[in-house]
Amino acid sequence: MIRSLAVFLSLALFGAAKLPAEHALAATHRDLHLRAVDFGLDLREQIGQLGFIAALSGFRSLVDDALFIQAHVAWERTEWGRVLLLFQQVTTLQPRAVLFWDMAAWHMAWNASAAALSDRAQPRLALRVKAQREYFALGKDFLERGIKNNPDRPQLYEALGRLYRDKYLDHEHAAEFFAKAAQLPGAPSYDKRFAAYELSHCEGREKEAYEHLRQLYDLGERERLPTLLRCLKEMEIKLDIPLAQRIPDQLP
Amino acid sequence: MNSSSHRAFSLGRIAAITVNTLTELTRLKIFYVLLFFALFLIGSSIFMARLTFQQEFQVLKDIALGSMNIFTSVLAVVATARLIPQDLEDRTIYTILAKPVPRSEYLFGKLAGVLLLLALSVIIMSALFFVVLNIREQTVLSDTARQMGAAPAEQVAEALDAVRASAFNVNLLSGIAIIFIKACLLASLTLFVSTFATTSIFTTIVMVFVYFIGHLEGIAREYWLQANSAGWMTKAFLGLVALLFPDLQLFNLSDDIVVGTAIPLALFVKTIALGSFYIVFYLLLAWAVFYRKEL
Amino acid sequence: MTEPAVAVIGVTKLFPIPFQWRSIVAVRDLNLQVSAGQIYGLLGPNGSGKSTTLKIILGLVSPTQGRSEIFGRDSSLVASREAVGFLPESPYFYKYLTGAETLRFYGKLCGLRGAKLRSRIDELLELVGLTSARNRRLGGYSKGMLQRIGLAQALIQEPKLVVLDEPTAGVDPAGAREIRDLILDLKRRGITVLLSSHLLGQVQEICDRVGILADGALVREGALDDLLAIENQTDLVLEDASPELVGEIETLAAKSGARVIERGRSRTSLERIFLEATEKPKKEIADE
Repeated sequence: MIRSLAVFLSLALFGAAKLPAEHALAATHRDLHLRAVDFGLDLREQIGQLGFIAALSGFRSLVDDALFIQAHVAWERTEWGRVLLLFQQVTTLQPRAVLFWDMAAWHMAWNASAAALSDRAQPRLALRVKAQREYFALGKDFLERGIKNNPDRPQLYEALGRLYRDKYLDHEHAAEFFAKAAQLPGAPSYDKRFAAYELSHCEGREKEAYEHLRQLYDLGERERLPTLLRCLKEMEIKLDIPLAQRIPDQLP
Repeated sequence: MNSSSHRAFSLGRIAAITVNTLTELTRLKIFYVLLFFALFLIGSSIFMARLTFQQEFQVLKDIALGSMNIFTSVLAVVATARLIPQDLEDRTIYTILAKPVPRSEYLFGKLAGVLLLLALSVIIMSALFFVVLNIREQTVLSDTARQMGAAPAEQVAEALDAVRASAFNVNLLSGIAIIFIKACLLASLTLFVSTFATTSIFTTIVMVFVYFIGHLEGIAREYWLQANSAGWMTKAFLGLVALLFPDLQLFNLSDDIVVGTAIPLALFVKTIALGSFYIVFYLLLAWAVFYRKEL
Repeated sequence: MTEPAVAVIGVTKLFPIPFQWRSIVAVRDLNLQVSAGQIYGLLGPNGSGKSTTLKIILGLVSPTQGRSEIFGRDSSLVASREAVGFLPESPYFYKYLTGAETLRFYGKLCGLRGAKLRSRIDELLELVGLTSARNRRLGGYSKGMLQRIGLAQALIQEPKLVVLDEPTAGVDPAGAREIRDLILDLKRRGITVLLSSHLLGQVQEICDRVGILADGALVREGALDDLLAIENQTDLVLEDASPELVGEIETLAAKSGARVIERGRSRTSLERIFLEATEKPKKEIADE
């Protein structure tokens, strides 16, 4: 009896001693955006009781993968509503997985939007276009939320840049996000070039674009790709750069 | 007549019990069932060919680490829960403790046997996982190189780097180490519970509850530490949960590691240290109960 | 005066009943001494406190009151168990170990190692007659073999005292006889034996001294011969005696004032008949 009490007390005492350590460690997790999942009622409604318990008990990524594979199957069957719903759950459960945000946005802005535009069940073009724009917006939303959860990773900025470039034809924004991506560690080298290309399409920012392109050109042979050379030439002509400062013509 | 040859603490005796416990555990049928389960999960992920390589690698890593997590946790609890009850039932515990073996050594030896078993399982599963991952990585690398044959060398190198980056990652090793520490913590806690439980079933059921509550402890703790206006009953309950249970959520870093989040060394060391403290503390508690237990 | 092998001094043991404010008295104010070199039998019906007493002596259970010593060392000290070997009632050892591995395990627990341990294992397997079964798993051992490997295990560190709880429970008479012979052999080697049993016949055959427990208290205790001897009676067993001779003896007895209480044909014991009947075929098998 006395011994049980002593054991209980030491358990509680140790508990009191470990509390600050656990608290600090949990704070570190939050600072690192780990476990950024909000285990709220919404999530429970979305993934059901069982999935919720499993996700809480350390099997989050397994539940998540199951949902992701379901989403993949739904995509193969072109069930767009289901794809959207499942990707909402997937990204909620694993907000640190850049890949899932990227996939979600791609399915919405590229696949679902294209399917909506060519939807035979909808005879009116205006409505088909409207649906297409809505899917663009959904894709953009996924990427923006993904960036909020992963501000330190270049991939989603780049994806957002692509979305602006290819879907909205908004070169200003595209340039902005390619440039942001290029600044982050681990970004591929082409992000910088993409940003400059996009700038070159923006009315009134040709000078800026020229400077960026020229900078890249000056970096050496590995940056002097055909698109860059072509783009640089265009800018030189547009800005009327003195001949002496222009880059030499490439051999055919 | 007082032969003073007896040593109060002997690694030899502990080693004998450890080896014996390990031998005993590897004969457990459940061990093979669970191993099969893990192999199945790892193997099944090979067939994720219809996904892109980033997806495939991520799902493969998720499934491998997730099943390692399940397997080691279940093994830790199930294997430990039956050690003492089984010895009591077979009366082998009497023959062991009637030898000049301190009860602390008996407990150490038993736990060390379980930890060794867990380490072996983790090593085997990791090896399998890395082999599978490497095979898939090589396949994807050669496919990529072939597809991009005409592209400039720089672009090919960048693409291949992207493939490598999405496959193996040193952080995976930290993730596996933390999964192992979590399983060891569960084993130590199970040993403690089994010193006062009467049956292994009871211990296992208690541990299932502990497992779930342990994953919610973080939430309870944060609510409790916040000065909020919850009623005293709620407060007392949350406080009890926060004090008596370990925060198992702190050991679930593999979910984040799989998606490429880097785990700072300091965080890794702190997590391992916290886990080790728990292991030692629960072992001491187990000893405190077992020391004077009537057998 | 050599110190006693076992001394139990004023021991009382209460087991609390969970969730009730009561306790069961398992042992009541017990005083017991086992001198070195004796075979001591602890008798009593089931639940009389035999096992608890043995567990207290071995330090597996701590007494509520009083204390117990082995060769002068308190039973609660781990070191006291260097001098004692224990065979619990119907033990199951680790089934996946062979006979030799079992002994190696227990030998290591006692700090034995290397060549010394190996020779000790060989010696003990020989002693308990399990040399041919040394590399067989215990899962395939018979009850009697298990009991014998249990005895070997108890002897691994050459203890001066061996404690046996119901050593022949569940063993067939041939096996029981082998165990009995082993116990007598131990005595010859100068090892003290403390055993508990409820089989009176066996205790009577081998014990020097017995104590009878009932409800946790020692009700009778003493040297076996003293306990069994009836002061005013004498047995007389005759062979080939004619009825006339028996009649004469009876008259002679009556003349001197003695009274004949019982007369009849001597009977062998069932155990002896059983053993004689079953021994032969076994031997034949062994000869093959």
